[in-house]
Order: sequence, then C-alpha cells, then structure tokens
Amino acid sequence: MNGLELIALTPVLILVLGGTALLMAGAWYRQPDPLLAGGISVALAAGLSALLLTPPVQEIAGLFSSTPYARFFTLFWSLSAALMLVISVRYVKERSLPAGEYVSLVLFATAGMALLSSATSLIGIFLGLEAFTLAFYILIACNRHCDLSAEAGLKYLVMGAVATGFMAFGIALIYACSGSFHLPEALQGLAAAGALRPWGLLGWGMLLVAIGFKISLVPFHLWTPDVYQGAPTPVVSLLATGSKGAVAAALIGLFASGPSGWTDMTSLLWLLSALTMLVGALCALPQTNIKRLLAYSSVVHMGTLLIGLLCQTSDGLAASVFYVTVYCIASLGSFAIITSMADGTSEPTDLEQWRGLGYRHPVRCGVLTVLLLSLAGMPPTAGFMAKFAIFHASIQADFIGLALVGILASLISFAFYLKVIMVMFMTDETAPACHPGTTLEHSVLAICTGAVLLFGLFPGLLFDLIGSILP
Amino acid sequence: MIVPFEHVLAMASALFVLGLTCTLVRRQLIMILIGVEIMLNAAALALVGASAFWQQVDGQVFVVLLMAITASEVAVALAMVFYLRHRKGTIVADQFNRMHG
Repeated sequence: MNGLELIALTPVLILVLGGTALLMAGAWYRQPDPLLAGGISVALAAGLSALLLTPPVQEIAGLFSSTPYARFFTLFWSLSAALMLVISVRYVKERSLPAGEYVSLVLFATAGMALLSSATSLIGIFLGLEAFTLAFYILIACNRHCDLSAEAGLKYLVMGAVATGFMAFGIALIYACSGSFHLPEALQGLAAAGALRPWGLLGWGMLLVAIGFKISLVPFHLWTPDVYQGAPTPVVSLLATGSKGAVAAALIGLFASGPSGWTDMTSLLWLLSALTMLVGALCALPQTNIKRLLAYSSVVHMGTLLIGLLCQTSDGLAASVFYVTVYCIASLGSFAIITSMADGTSEPTDLEQWRGLGYRHPVRCGVLTVLLLSLAGMPPTAGFMAKFAIFHASIQADFIGLALVGILASLISFAFYLKVIMVMFMTDETAPACHPGTTLEHSVLAICTGAVLLFGLFPGLLFDLIGSILP
Repeated sequence: MIVPFEHVLAMASALFVLGLTCTLVRRQLIMILIGVEIMLNAAALALVGASAFWQQVDGQVFVVLLMAITASEVAVALAMVFYLRHRKGTIVADQFNRMHG
C-alpha cells in the first residue's frame, strides 16, 4: 500500500481514526454532548472527503475500489451515520448509554459499511462485513437497563457468528475452485468447467446463505423482528439502513461484474426472492409492534431488491441502487420518528400507543404517513418510482412471474402500512402524548421527508447520478 | 501436494458440518460459540489447502486475517456471555425467549 492508495482511502481513515480518538476521549471525558457532536462532525467530514476528494487510484491494494460508485455509497453511509447520531443525542443522554463507546462504534460500523460497498475482493467483502457486524454486536446490547436489548444482542450474536462461519467457508471454497480472491477472476473461475466446479458452486451458495442472514432473506430472517424490537431505536435505524444497504451495494457490484457462473444460481435466487417477499408480507400482517412491523417490511424490501439484481441488465442494477437509496432514506426517517417520540423510559412501539396519535402530534404522524407510503410504494413518493423501476426492469428482462409475485406482495404490504396510518388518524384520541421531540430530531425528519418527496417528484435527478456511477 | 486436494476439501467440509451441527444442537451459549469456532477453523483448513494447491500465498494471508477476526469475535462474544450470565443467571439460549411472534 502506497501513499496514493492511502489518499484514496481517506474517508474510511477519517472514520476509523476519528472513532478511535473519540473512544479514547470518552474514557476520560464522560459528557455526552461534545462526544456526539464530535462523532457527527467526523461522519460529515468523511462524507465531505468522499464527495470532494478525487482519488488518485481506482483500486486500493486489490481489495477495495475507489470508483464513483464506491464514493457514492461512502458518502451515503457517512450521511446516514451523521443523521443517526443526530437522533441519538437525546436518546443517549436520557438512557445514559456510554457516549464515547456508542459514538466510536457507530463510526467503526460506518467504516465497515463503506469498505463493504467498495469491496472488489472476497477478502474485502469479509473484512467490511465483519467490521460492522462486530460493532453492531455491542451496539445492539448497549442499553444495560433493558432486558430486551440484551436478548436482541444475543440473537444477533449467534446468528451473526453462524453467518460468519458460512461466509468464511464459502470464500474458502470459492478460492479453492478459482485460485483468486479478486471478484472478476473468482467469478471467471466458476465459469470454466472443471473437477472443482461443484465446490465453487457450493462456495457461492454458502456465501449466499451468509448474505441471506445479513439482509434477512427468508428463511434466514428469523432474527430480524426480535433484534429490531429489542435494540435501541437509533441503532435499529442504522441496522435497517446501513448494514443491509451496504450488503446490497456489494451484491450489486458483484452482479455488475458481468454475466458468469451466476446463471446457475438464477433459479435459486428466483425462489429466495419470491419466498422472501411473500413470507415477509404475510408475517407482517398480524404484527402489533411497529418495530417488528418495520422489520418484516425490510424483509419484503430486500426480496424486491433481489428482483432488480436478478435482471442482470444495467436498467435492473440502476433500479436496485435507486431502490436501496430510497428504502434507506424512508426507513431511517421512520425509525427517527419513533426515536423522537421516546422519552427516558419508554417509547411508543405497540400500535395501541399510536392510537389517535395523529391528533396529538399531527406533523410527525403526517411525516410518518409520507414515509410509510413511500415504503409501500405510493405516488408521489420516491418509493413508487423505486418499485416501478424494479418491476419495469424485471418485465423487460423477462422475469414476468417474479414481477407478478412482487406486485402481489406489494399489495399485501399496503394492508399493514395502511393499518398503522389508520390507527394514527382514524380512531378516537386515546393514547397519551409522547415526547415533543427536539429541533435536531425534527430537522432529520425534514431531511428524510424532503428527500423522499424530491426523488418521488424528480426521480431523474437520482437516476442520472446512478447511471453515471454504475460500475 | 502429498494429500489429494479433494481429500483436504472433504476433511474441511466434515469439520464444517460438525461445527454447524454443534451450533444447531447444543443450547449452551459456550458450546454454540465453540461450534462457530470449528466452522471457522474448517474454513482456515480449506484455505491453507487451496493455497498449497494453487501455489500462492494469498490463502495463507487470509488465514492470518481470519484468525485476527475470530479472536476479536470471540472477545466480543465472551464479554456478551459474561454480561448475559450476570444479568439473567443463565447462558442457556432457550431461556432468552421474551420476544416472539
């Protein structure tokens, strides 16, 4: 690794070194406000450097790329982390979470996501994935006053550890088959017929299982609702967006490296996608806890995303990137609203606590309605354009059956999103008022809602950008 | 290579299946973590074998990285086990069942 490569790695270095500095500072200095402000500025600085700094080399040590695609996602995850830290400010103080550790772990996790999105090698994928998984093990269980948080941490730990085992063994088999960790060569190695090809296919299958655990595809989704319910809500806002989105971004990069041995996997991926959408939508219907409901909603979304990947066309991949971006914005906003309503001891998670809340907090419930409609895919929000682009690409690529399953799952999804909206607005006022929220939290909500409406009304803005950065 | 490459892979796969069975069957958290360790070691064995097969050093370098990651994962996991034991007085995975549905 030489100086030019270090310059190309600047955003990640800022995140990691900033996180380390804050961890050290937090050991002596326990005031949460300056630490959180420091974390927000480190995340923003990393995002800014990804935006402004043109990397002198395209690939770093054969592990990570610094193409515009990688820089886009580095910027996006840094901004998500900054927004997530903004909504954490009051939450961390009121629940007396350890601020130094919290902020530094969030920054380490963000560095992992940035690395994963830009990985060009199986080693890069593994390192990036582990970097944020290890941080999330601790973040999920970091609320020491809550039993559910510990239980969620345990469930994520066991599932994550098993997924790590699958991923490591899958990578080992792929390497055994192809003799290279670098993605293009590893995929090429699969295309050539040989005695080792079955091992290589088994390896890709295991890698898919590990990815399935991480982005919670059915039947590997069982941890998702429990972890979302038990973990601190700001942490969930990053877990639902960054950790899933970064894996999805790596997958998009993988599929973009060209047609290859993946064709053998098409039927398997087809089945996974269809199952994920239908099971996720049906399981969400009876949920009465809004965090669990959003967890199942994320399961459905990841299934829909797979459709775009399966198309293997540039339209499909562009639609997938658009879909990930829009899903992350809407999801982050939804969890930000729940966080803004939380006070020191409780937060409205049960749907009973949302009954008639639309009359007590009209603005935030209205914002939640917009974000839920975006997740459901209603015009004029960005979610509609995202779903439309995915289904359009899949019909063009001759995946009509899958598109029909996807549309069916979307219709079922409407039911549970509408259930929340109806509970908020169409019942008598019974729920007690929640915390009014701070100006900082409201500005995060404004950013998310603004982005959802902007990309819904002018999707061309984002589509042009994505078209120019796709690998 | 003295040993045929397929034998190395078969041995590693057997080890992996043993580890996976251990994580699925045992309910003690410590045993689950040991199962995961065995799965990761199976991966390391396959990597070393593949590295010798392809006459490259890449696989062995990855094994060193894998060891480092495994060590950090174990550090976090054992801290978690300690915390859960302290909190709930048990480390049997089935006892943590307050959330379901």
